[in-house]
Amino acid sequence: MSERKRLLIIDDDPEFVAGIKAILTRAKYEVDTAYNPKDGWAALKSKDYDLLLLDIMMGRGAEGVMIARKLNKDPKLRNLPVLIITGIREQIAFLFPGQAVHPHFVPVDELVEKPVEPKLLLEKVESLLKAAEERKAKAK
Amino acid sequence: MSAVTSAQPPKEVDAGVSFVEEINHLLYAAKGNPINTCIQCGTCSATCPVASAGYMDNSPRRLIAMIRAGFKEQVLKANTFWYCASCYQCTVRCPRGIDIAELMYGLKRYTVWRSEYQEGLIGPSFSETFVKMIVRTGRSYEPVLATSYLFTYGLPEIIQEAQTATALMLKGRLPLLPARIKRLDNFRRMIRKIIPLGEPE
Amino acid sequence: MKTYAYFPGCSLEKMAYSYHQSAIETTRALGVELKELEDWNCCGATAYFHVDELLAFTLCARNIAMAEKEQLDLVAPCSGCYKNAYFAREALLHDPDLAEHINEALAEDNLQFAGTSKIHHLIEIFAFDIGPDAIKAKVTNPLKGLRVAPYYGCQILRPRKGKEDVERPRFFEDIVAATGATPVEYLLRLRCCGGALIITNRMAALSMVRNLLECAVRARADLIVTACPLCQVNLECYQKQVNREFGTELNVPVIYFTQLLGLALGIPPKRLGIGSELVAVMPAIEQALRTEPAPAAT
Ligand code: SF4
Ligand code: SF4
Repeated sequence: MSERKRLLIIDDDPEFVAGIKAILTRAKYEVDTAYNPKDGWAALKSKDYDLLLLDIMMGRGAEGVMIARKLNKDPKLRNLPVLIITGIREQIAFLFPGQAVHPHFVPVDELVEKPVEPKLLLEKVESLLKAAEERKAKAK
Repeated sequence: MSAVTSAQPPKEVDAGVSFVEEINHLLYAAKGNPINTCIQCGTCSATCPVASAGYMDNSPRRLIAMIRAGFKEQVLKANTFWYCASCYQCTVRCPRGIDIAELMYGLKRYTVWRSEYQEGLIGPSFSETFVKMIVRTGRSYEPVLATSYLFTYGLPEIIQEAQTATALMLKGRLPLLPARIKRLDNFRRMIRKIIPLGEPE
Repeated sequence: MKTYAYFPGCSLEKMAYSYHQSAIETTRALGVELKELEDWNCCGATAYFHVDELLAFTLCARNIAMAEKEQLDLVAPCSGCYKNAYFAREALLHDPDLAEHINEALAEDNLQFAGTSKIHHLIEIFAFDIGPDAIKAKVTNPLKGLRVAPYYGCQILRPRKGKEDVERPRFFEDIVAATGATPVEYLLRLRCCGGALIITNRMAALSMVRNLLECAVRARADLIVTACPLCQVNLECYQKQVNREFGTELNVPVIYFTQLLGLALGIPPKRLGIGSELVAVMPAIEQALRTEPAPAAT
């Protein structure tokens, strides 16, 4: 097994972050956290991460989308796998009741809705990381 | 964070993010100073036309004290920000340059996202009705808005509202039909670029 | 002739149609053209700015981008619309990431925000572009003897935008004086009318309206003038409800500053939309003009 994978969580909800951080740390991931989009972007630019866990509704609105679009335009960060974890459907459900969230802001993202089961979370994280490894291997 | 801790079961209690920090994160893009810099001078409350008339359960100054003390529950259930008229009087007078009106907006947003606000308030349902209408037509329309608050009124208020509405109608000041913008399809696709909900484009 | 892109806003379509009519009439009389944006959308008002600011910025940016396409500055007669457009533009100008994000959405409507058009409130056009002197020069029916309380409200001035005086502005008084009327000094001219609280907290708003009206009446105002449809509706249309709830007997007309100007410029009241008020306007004006001991009067 290679060295420990490093993950970044960008999410404004401290309780939620504490929860998933505990799960991921227990699964031997190294986890950094950022509680607003600005700090999150600064972290992405200053360190290398293997995976980003991204919330949608933060700060002024659906700022997660903004980060994802920025990632997609950044040649270096473009291939960073992103797991979008969002409660947007509940947060602004009155707008489009019952309708789906449409992700794929970056070529390699996946989406789960809050609240997320620990088992599902770990599965998604693992499979995204694995897919990224495979892509890297293929590129070599 | 060093890798050494990995030997132990990582039972680390997160140092935690205090409520005031959480609010600062929410307002990370706002121009004013963080609310930590408040000196509790009370200028905001004295100058606020709603608080000084006695309609807020917690004045702006007090609300800020509560945020800093970490009284999250009480803050979310306060009516202060829902009764804020966005007049910016507090903001222009605060000696510490805190944008209090912006904080009020932030707290509305925070509580709407979590559906955790004081019961019986008209503000949240009014906002929702308003947005829904704009997303649908691109314009706002008074008669639809009325549905968001009239049901909370008692009979005397309803009669008064009806009299005002009738008088306005007679003067030709109430629209009978909602307006809509012309390029509505483009408009809706535009909105879905910002809010990733609904049918994808 | 100076031309502006004109964004009337939802209220001016019906509720405040007289503001629209009088804005068009008076600007035309003073050599300014207001060219309505062809497919403007709601600015988001105050009710929405907080649920999703990014969407609110987008709504405003769409209107601004349409003005830019015409290469014109944008003028809004509603203080709420003005404030939202003004701050949306500021936010986008100072945050390129935000602008890029929102431009991606605007592209769906073949629009683009670049920040080339400035935002003005309608009253600023009269106060600063045209100026009180030029207005005075065009006045044919000076409103001598009429005591007018200019009501600024909140969002023309606050929050601080630059170096302007948020505590002691005079431009509204100057406009009133240019019509020949006497601007009334009263304490609450900058105090909030309650805004959207009229819906979300009716009693609080009614009490704010009451304080304002009483303050202006105590200063012997014959008339209040506003520069915002929401202020006009709160101060005028809810007067009856104030009287009912507080046992007051208020009956003071509230009109738009453009209507006052129009009268002084000799435009017939009907073309200024006067007559659609719930508190009659002309009797108050006629009486004030009559009681003025002017030599020409009968
Ligand atoms: S005016 Fe400013 S410093 Fe004074 S209590 Fe209010 S927020 Fe604090
Ligand atoms: S902006 Fe809100 S809190 Fe501040 S003075 Fe006005 S009503 Fe009060």
